[in-house]
Amino acid sequence: MKKDIAITVDNLHISYRGLKKFSIKRSLFKGKKSSVEVFEAVKGISFTIEKGKILGFIGKNGSGKSTTLRALAGIFSPDEGRIDLHGNSVSLLSIGVGFQPKLTGQENIYLAGMLLGFSEKQIREKEKEIIAFADIGDFIYKPVKTYSSGMYSKLAFAITAILETDIMLIDEVLSVGDAAFKEKSYNKMRELISDANRTVVIVSHSLSTIKELCDEVLWLHEGNIKKIGKPEEVIEEYEEYMAAKKG
Amino acid sequence: MKKFINNIKRYFKYAVYSARADLKAEVAGSYLNWLWWVLDPMFFMLIYIFIAGIVFKKTELYFPVFIFTGLTVWDYFNRNINASVKIVSANRPIVTKIYIPKYILILQKSFVTFFKMLISWGLVIILMILWKVPLTPYILYFFPILLVLYVITFGFSLILMHFGIFIEDLGNVITLVLKLVFYLSGIFYNVSTSLPEPFNKILLNLNPVAFLINAFRDVLLYGKAPSLLLLSGWFLVGIFSMMIGIHIIHKYENSYAKVI
Repeated sequence: MKKDIAITVDNLHISYRGLKKFSIKRSLFKGKKSSVEVFEAVKGISFTIEKGKILGFIGKNGSGKSTTLRALAGIFSPDEGRIDLHGNSVSLLSIGVGFQPKLTGQENIYLAGMLLGFSEKQIREKEKEIIAFADIGDFIYKPVKTYSSGMYSKLAFAITAILETDIMLIDEVLSVGDAAFKEKSYNKMRELISDANRTVVIVSHSLSTIKELCDEVLWLHEGNIKKIGKPEEVIEEYEEYMAAKKG
Repeated sequence: MKKFINNIKRYFKYAVYSARADLKAEVAGSYLNWLWWVLDPMFFMLIYIFIAGIVFKKTELYFPVFIFTGLTVWDYFNRNINASVKIVSANRPIVTKIYIPKYILILQKSFVTFFKMLISWGLVIILMILWKVPLTPYILYFFPILLVLYVITFGFSLILMHFGIFIEDLGNVITLVLKLVFYLSGIFYNVSTSLPEPFNKILLNLNPVAFLINAFRDVLLYGKAPSLLLLSGWFLVGIFSMMIGIHIIHKYENSYAKVI
C-alpha cells in the first residue's frame, strides 16, 4: 500500500545572494550591484515526508535547518528545485506572530489567527480552548506588552497548537515557559503528533526531544543531507560526530 | 492580476481587523488619544492661517476650510507614502515568520490612514457649516476625486515599498521629496492665483497632490467642476502604477524576507 505523501522536497537550493541592501549615498545608482556575494544556505536537498509522520531536523548552527523550515512555510521561494505540499495547509509555530503589543492577549488571538488564514468564526470556536491552554489567567485580558516573556511564548504556542493546520513546522519552541507548561506543551505535542493526519517537522537542538518524538530524523550539514533515517541511528552517529569535533 | 484579487479577498478581513486593532492600540493608552487625530490637523491649520493670512497677508475665501481641505488630503498622502518605504521592515515579526502578500501591509496601512482622513473630512464639513459655504451639486464630484486620491496613493506606495526594501536610505530621500511636494501642493496658498502664469499650470497638471487638492476645493468651496480629463488621466496613472507595483511585488516578494 502506498502511503500518502504530505511534503515532497526536490533538489532544494536556497541562497542568500547579492541581496544586500545598498544605499544611494554609497552607490549613486550606478549599474547593478557589482560584488555579488552568494551564500548558499541549502545546497540541493531532497526528501519526502509521509502524511502523519514526524520528521526531526538536526545539525549544528548555520546548517540550513531554519532556512529549510522557512522555505517549507512559504516565506522564501526556492532558488532552485521545488517544494510540493500537496495542497496541505501549513503553519510555522513560532513566537508571537504579528502580536500587537498594545492590545490584549484575546484580541491578539484573533489577529494572529487571521494571519494564519483562519476565519473569525473558526477562531471564535477555538478561542476558549486557546485561552485555557495558554493558562495565563487574567493576563489574557491585559495588553500583551505587560506579559513576561514566558507568558508571551505560552500564548503564541497555544495559538498555533490549537489552531490546527495539516502540516506544523516547529522551530525550537519546545522549551517554552516554566516546567509545568513545558510538560503540558510537550504532551500537547504528543497529542498533535498522535493525530494520524498531521505531519510535523521539528527543528531542535534537544536530541532527547527529537529521539522521543520523531519517526525519522534528517541530519543537515552545511546545507547538505548528511544522513536521514531512524532516530536512534542518526542521533547516535550525530553524537559521535559532535564528540569527535569537541575532542 | 487574478492572484492579486484572490489574495485581496483572502486577506481583506485580516487587513480590516488589523487596521482596527492599530487604531484601537493608538487610543488604548489614553482615551484622549483620539482627540489628537482632531487636534493635530486643527493646530496645523491655525499655524498656516497665521503664516499665510497674517504674516504674508494672503487669505482666501473661507480660508480655514481652504487650508483644512489641503491638509486633509496632504496628511493622507504623506502618511501613506512615508510609511510605505519602511513598511516591510516595520512588520518584520510578521514577514519573517509567515507568508503574507506584501501589499496587504500597504492595504492595512491605507485603511488606518483612510479612517483618520474620514475624521478629518468630518471636520471639514463642520467648518463648511460654520463658514456657511453654499452647497452646489458639484459636491458629488467629491467621491470620484477621493477614489483617484486613493488609487494614486496606493499605486505609489506599492512601488515605493518595493524599492524601500532594497535601498537603505530611500526613506531619507522620500522625506526630502515629500517636503518639496508639500510646498508645491498649495496647502496654504492657492496654486492657480498665487503663482505666475506658466508655473501654476505646470504644477497643477504635473503634481497629482496639487491637482487633487485644487479639485477638492473647486467642488467643495467654489462650485466648480474639476477637469475631467486630468481626473481620469491621474486615475489611469494610479491604476497603472498599481499594476506595476503588484507585478514587481509578485515577482520579488519572496526575497524580501531574506533582505530585511
